[in-house]
Amino acid sequence: MAAAPETIALVAAPPHQGLWSKAFHKFCRDRAGLVGLWVVVLYAIVALGVWLGLWASDWAEVTGPKWGPVSAEHWFGTNLIGQDIFARALYSTRTAFELGLVVAVLSTFVGAVLGAFAGFFSGGWIDELVLWFMGVIDSIPFYLLVAAIAFSLGDSPYAMYIAMIATFWVGTSRLVRGEVIKLKELEFVEAAHAIGLSEVAIIFRHILPNTFHILLVQATITFVAAIKSEVILSFLGIGIQDGMSWGLMIAESTIEVLAGFFNNFIAASLLMFGLVMAFNMFSDALQDALDPRSVR
Amino acid sequence: MTKPLLEVRNLVKHFPVRGGGFSVVRQQVKAVDDVSFTLLPGQTLGLVGESGCGKSTLGRALLRLQEPNSGQIFFEGRDILQMNRAELKAQRRDMQIIFQDPFASLSPRRTVAQTVCEPLDVHGIGSPLERRKRVEELIELVGLRAAVLNRYPHEFSGGQRQRIGIARALALNPKLIVADEPVSALDVSVQSQVLNLINDLQRQLGVSFIFISHDLAVIQHISDVVAVMYLGRIVEQAAVSSLYTSPKHPYTQALLSAVPSPHPASGAKRIILPGDVPSPISPPSGCAFHPRCPAAQAKCQITEPQQTTLHNGGHQRHFACHYPLGD
Amino acid sequence: MLEVRDLAVEFDTEHGRVRAVNNVSFSVNAGEVVGLVGESGCGKTVTGLSLLGLVPSPPGKVVHGEILLDGDDLLKLDEAGMRRIRGSEVSMIFQEPMTALNPVLTVGYQMTEVLRLHKSLSQRQARHAAIDMLGIVGIPAPSKRIDEYPHEMSGGMRQRVMIAMALSCGPKLLIADEPTTALDVTTQAQVLDEIVRLQHQFEMAVILITHDLGVVAQTCQRALVMYCGELVEAAPINSLFASPLHPYTQGLIGSIPRIREHKIERLPVIEGMVPDIAALPDGCHFADRCNRVQADCHERSPVLTPSADAGAVACWHPLEPQHD
Repeated sequence: MAAAPETIALVAAPPHQGLWSKAFHKFCRDRAGLVGLWVVVLYAIVALGVWLGLWASDWAEVTGPKWGPVSAEHWFGTNLIGQDIFARALYSTRTAFELGLVVAVLSTFVGAVLGAFAGFFSGGWIDELVLWFMGVIDSIPFYLLVAAIAFSLGDSPYAMYIAMIATFWVGTSRLVRGEVIKLKELEFVEAAHAIGLSEVAIIFRHILPNTFHILLVQATITFVAAIKSEVILSFLGIGIQDGMSWGLMIAESTIEVLAGFFNNFIAASLLMFGLVMAFNMFSDALQDALDPRSVR
Repeated sequence: MTKPLLEVRNLVKHFPVRGGGFSVVRQQVKAVDDVSFTLLPGQTLGLVGESGCGKSTLGRALLRLQEPNSGQIFFEGRDILQMNRAELKAQRRDMQIIFQDPFASLSPRRTVAQTVCEPLDVHGIGSPLERRKRVEELIELVGLRAAVLNRYPHEFSGGQRQRIGIARALALNPKLIVADEPVSALDVSVQSQVLNLINDLQRQLGVSFIFISHDLAVIQHISDVVAVMYLGRIVEQAAVSSLYTSPKHPYTQALLSAVPSPHPASGAKRIILPGDVPSPISPPSGCAFHPRCPAAQAKCQITEPQQTTLHNGGHQRHFACHYPLGD
Repeated sequence: MLEVRDLAVEFDTEHGRVRAVNNVSFSVNAGEVVGLVGESGCGKTVTGLSLLGLVPSPPGKVVHGEILLDGDDLLKLDEAGMRRIRGSEVSMIFQEPMTALNPVLTVGYQMTEVLRLHKSLSQRQARHAAIDMLGIVGIPAPSKRIDEYPHEMSGGMRQRVMIAMALSCGPKLLIADEPTTALDVTTQAQVLDEIVRLQHQFEMAVILITHDLGVVAQTCQRALVMYCGELVEAAPINSLFASPLHPYTQGLIGSIPRIREHKIERLPVIEGMVPDIAALPDGCHFADRCNRVQADCHERSPVLTPSADAGAVACWHPLEPQHD
């Protein structure tokens, strides 16, 4: 049977633009965001190189004198034991990325799922349970929690990861829950019910995909939070146990600074500042670009 | 006598109103209050009323998107309110819905193809290839080109999105479609296109429609039978021509005369009802319409009118009024 | 009393500069009710807003034209000058009474604010005047209602409050932007009735912006039809409906569902879709959808030319006027 007589031509407007490409174009117009992105990419390449063994593999070796000055061989000089500070700083980039990515991905995932279920069944027992959990975790000081987990896991290198994930999911979860409470009232959710989809299927197929813009931004925020928290944790001795990180470098440098040697401290702080700042700029621009109100 | 497709008996849906400290349930909003009607296969029932009359809630209750508190809904003889989850899921193949808001009724992150194909996926109909073909068929049936299948909802206008929503509703070959104000949010010149489409599809496919709207002109155009709702009750039900030419209930008459007609010279006396549509939380005593009714008398405040049924030549009409309008 | 000449308003969008209103000219006489009709996106609301200098100014800008109120060009006034006009000589009411009224202030506060601003009344005098006004617009028990909050009132009543606020300083011109679209049919009838009655009582001119031809037919004396930012036809009400000259007007009148004597099979339809104003075709904007289109329609944009009965039409091949 032929189609309805008025076959309509499509809106003669911009060419086929998926949601992501629209956001991408918007993002590219924000210069600060672009700069941030490039810097983050640079750091990522450094981290990748370290992981592949391309550079900074000699971070633990004694290659120079104690407290050697800045020179062509040691770009930031050497530390108390004679290890190259620059190599250590580069190696720490890998640690930072590893930590940041694992914590960001896992905590965002946990936060998203729990938040979505809480929001979808808001007012019900699932919601009450999740909210209770969130309240409990919020009321325990973060560093105490990490210490407690580290203690109970017997100084496992994963203690810090677990503690961070266990804490950071809450922020994401709250945002997702709020968004889902709004989303579930929209008609496309009713339509999914009408078709016969189960509630769990609706949550994963329809609701969560519509929170991706929130999740992406939250992931970047969590990434930065993880890196910053690690500094204090390593300082307290309950952070990174093996390997090197900016936090450990700063911890080491406390004694050195008292003796008047600042290179270690400056190297670690500078590199960390660079990544955090760049990531923040990137994250802000990302949030603006993904704002669903502009995608109509 | 053809067997009815849908038979609704004494359907009730209340919403609790929470208030005061500790969220105590204080009152009930009687959104749908003892509604009964019958729908034949291939027939279109127009459900008309103003805001708060319960028509949208009724539409959703019929599909169990809102669970009714009591009553019976017989679809082809089986009471769907007694069905368990699995039976209800299978039953959904026969009953679908089209929504009012073209912007909120399609998931922004799914392509047109995914949206229209989803009903087929959920019920496991056909092979992926067959599903794809069916989706293409449906899209062309509603007047769009198959090339649009990979696009996202935000790339379309309101009228086009409604067409996509209609394609989705048709995917499972339902016998009944509830259309909740499907053209109210569309531009005037697009409304007529979509109304024609719905009419065409109805004739082609023999689907029954329950068409919900506040617009009496649209209802007249598209319906075979019309039911007028006020505060959760059906106050009058009749074949469309009878209702529009000789309404029995004063509310119907007032509603018809309130519609501004695009004929400047129509000096028809307009009945202006005093007051506002009352709140469904505490409806007036007796006949819910009595405070605003131009024909109200003492009895109307005390007793609720019962449904009267008239048979004129094969068509039934029902109305609930103590002092119905004469012929 | 009001004369608009060659008004043009542009907006900055992500697709570039867009002309929302182009070459619009019309006049409104004292005490006249004029309807400004068109579908969404045709520029009627922007036209109404520009009369009061309310076009949101970062994205939008009036780029051309004159708006003469009793001879004075409103576009040349500065913000302070405009503020003196708003509410006292020209008032506006909007579609959504819930968002147009401040939900955290009582009705009385909002009304007396207007009165004290323009008429320098004391609080007591303003309150009396406000109560009077509420009574005039048909709100029962006004001295009690005046202390209520907007959410305690129904939609119809809120709309009346807005009308009361708009009329409280006795303006010469009332601009009503879709005042009844968000209301139920029975409430709409009440409010329209009220507007017409008040218009007689205050001898004020009204520009009624709407997409509903039925509303126009019942309340207006003249109508201006807009399409894609331009005026395509202007005519007295009876001529407009009995014998529209522009194919769009004819299509619009035909395609709107209305209660008829007998059911019809198919609604007449205007083919195609409203074009995107960011990418308008050359020539007449309606050409692609017009059933009377000819070659020259794609070449040049038609100009508004006067027609019989003090009307005007912008079409190269307008319909023949029908005489009874």
